[in-house]
Amino acid sequence: MYIEVNGQQTFVATGGKTFDARLPTVVLLHGSGLDHRCWALQARWFAFHGFSVFAPDLPGHSLSQGEALTSIEAMGAWLVDALDAAGIEQVHLMGHSQGFLMALEAAPILGDRLLSMMALATAAAIPVNPALIDTAKQNTSKAADMMLQWGFGSNHQYGISAVPGMQPIGIGQRIMANNPLAVDLQACNQYQAGNERAQALRCPVHLVLAKQDRMTPVREGLKLAKLLGISPTVIPNTGHMLPIEAPKESLQTMKSFIQTLN
Amino acid sequence: MSRSSYLGDDTIALHSGYQPESDHGSRAVPIYQTTSYVFDSVDDASALFNVERGGHIYSRITNPTIAVLEQRLAALEGGSGAICTASGMSALFVTFFSLCSAGDHIVSAAQIYGSTVTLLKHTLKRFDIDCTFVAINDAEALENAIQDNTKLVFCESIGNPGLEASDLPMISSIAHQHGIPLVVDATFATPYLCKPIQHGADVVVHSVTKWIGGHGVAVGGAVIDGGNFDWLASGRFPTLTEPYAPFHGMNFWEEFGPSALAMRIRCESMRDIGAAMSPQNAFLLLQGIETLNLRMQQHVENAKSLITWLQEQDAVAWVNHPDLDHNPSQAVAAALFPKGAGSMLSFGVNGGREAGAAFIDALQLSSNLANVGDSRTLVLHPGSTTHSRLNEDELAAAGISGDLIRVSVGIESIKDIKSDFANGLRAAAKTAEKLAQQG
Ligand SMILES: Cc1ncc(COP(=O)(O)O)c(C=O)c1O
Repeated sequence: MYIEVNGQQTFVATGGKTFDARLPTVVLLHGSGLDHRCWALQARWFAFHGFSVFAPDLPGHSLSQGEALTSIEAMGAWLVDALDAAGIEQVHLMGHSQGFLMALEAAPILGDRLLSMMALATAAAIPVNPALIDTAKQNTSKAADMMLQWGFGSNHQYGISAVPGMQPIGIGQRIMANNPLAVDLQACNQYQAGNERAQALRCPVHLVLAKQDRMTPVREGLKLAKLLGISPTVIPNTGHMLPIEAPKESLQTMKSFIQTLN
Repeated sequence: MSRSSYLGDDTIALHSGYQPESDHGSRAVPIYQTTSYVFDSVDDASALFNVERGGHIYSRITNPTIAVLEQRLAALEGGSGAICTASGMSALFVTFFSLCSAGDHIVSAAQIYGSTVTLLKHTLKRFDIDCTFVAINDAEALENAIQDNTKLVFCESIGNPGLEASDLPMISSIAHQHGIPLVVDATFATPYLCKPIQHGADVVVHSVTKWIGGHGVAVGGAVIDGGNFDWLASGRFPTLTEPYAPFHGMNFWEEFGPSALAMRIRCESMRDIGAAMSPQNAFLLLQGIETLNLRMQQHVENAKSLITWLQEQDAVAWVNHPDLDHNPSQAVAAALFPKGAGSMLSFGVNGGREAGAAFIDALQLSSNLANVGDSRTLVLHPGSTTHSRLNEDELAAAGISGDLIRVSVGIESIKDIKSDFANGLRAAAKTAEKLAQQG
């Protein structure tokens, strides 16, 4: 569906069902340079099992209009504006990589409206190599190649796909190369408040990490888990593009977590 | 550059799409000779039917062996995904069918494979899809042929029977200026010689029956989605950008973006038309693809050597190949096919139609048959076979002279191919002499 957020047309994927703000809402937040399509194999399950799904494309990304937001803080505030625009009261936030940082920033603004938080392939801080940011500023397509070569685990580098016949690296390349990757990477690199925000969380939180993650290495994810006092799920044979690479395992963890909340 | 793998092409050809650990350690890709797949649970079954998760339901739609071939072809061509079909013709059909509806129009190169002409000129016409044929390297003719209802431009990377290389950067740029995609049949070149997506093509189609399979044992086709075309911005493709009722109103562009076309073909054509490849054929074609690059090197080397040799023979009237100076597309071929523009060539023998027939009948190594792209050398004399019912004027209109011999150069030892052809040329010369004596 398209909604207007701060005067800009914003695309929100709803998992193949009409959005119903009365149902418990699962918010799915994409990572740097990506879009709602990274949740293709999770969104529909939630939408067809009693939840409403709200998976937006960030401003300036894929199907959403507007200028890309330049800080994680601005993204967090924008998310709350987007939820307000759609008339959504309480939410479960699930974020991949940068999407989790954005959720951390939305958390204090949401207060009691935040029911739970799920973090996938991420950490409290995502420092980005300055050479990658520079490349992204000059040639997004080349930077996307660098990201995808690092981002996908070894099986996907050998052309394995959860969807028969498709090439996730090829799909990711087209999406990232046309999105404001440099702005996203810079925002991640500058973000410092992750630990503080994570410590302040009052809702149930779970963390899923990818064993072969080279963008946000497992050891960083484990530090975050320790800070939160939780035992994370670690998925083997998978890289940073966790929701795409291991959709079934990711969904299983997301499902189990949300089902234990009631 | 749009890519979908960071492996080298030789590695992709051998490994892409398959890792052994999930299949009992089987090093070779297993043949999943099954029609259907057991669901874990009722919930799992409904998740599969509802596209909540990827996986296999029924082999008309997907199959694990075929999926390896699809993913390998997508990686080789640098696309976002691929769909394999029962034949090259069905790959072309599902592509046109997925992009066009009644009332739409296609602009196609005039020089293309005969059955594709029939499909575009007669078969699709019954469904009110029209086609205009143009000399595809003529920018003005192409531009003039595009109408408001045109949905795509189609050509072969090397056209048939004239063997002209298509100027893909020029053609795609004109198509894109009009908001329509370029579909390229790349059968004659294979991704080893030219990757059309890198030159602006949006969809690549193959008859994998030919060089990709290479061994002449299995018929098959493939559609590779280039993933770069913005179907929404174009505004001409309701099949990809508007809700599809059979899947809860799924919008393929919103849901899948760069793989929207491949997913539409999967969800609609494979399900409702069902021109599926067999798992056994996918396995045989995978055996072929593993050595594609090595075979293509030898195909091209043999073709070059045979061309030079033929040009030196007294009995030969003319030789045609895209790499030759007198071929109108030589400059295009040099730019797009730096390793050589394929292993198809044609030549004429002195003495016309009858001498041509005598040449073919005298061959032993080379096979006289209606196929191309086998590892073995194949020859055909259209004037006495596929086009035998046409008179000289009709032949000329089809771009075929009575003396034309079409050769798909194989990978045998080149000295043996030449020696076989030398026998053929002697027979042709004798016939030509007899004809001359008869006056
Ligand atoms: C260029 C080209 N395209 C398509 C086809 C059709 O392929 P198939 O015979 O696999 O249906 C052929 C067959 O000769 C061909 O040469």
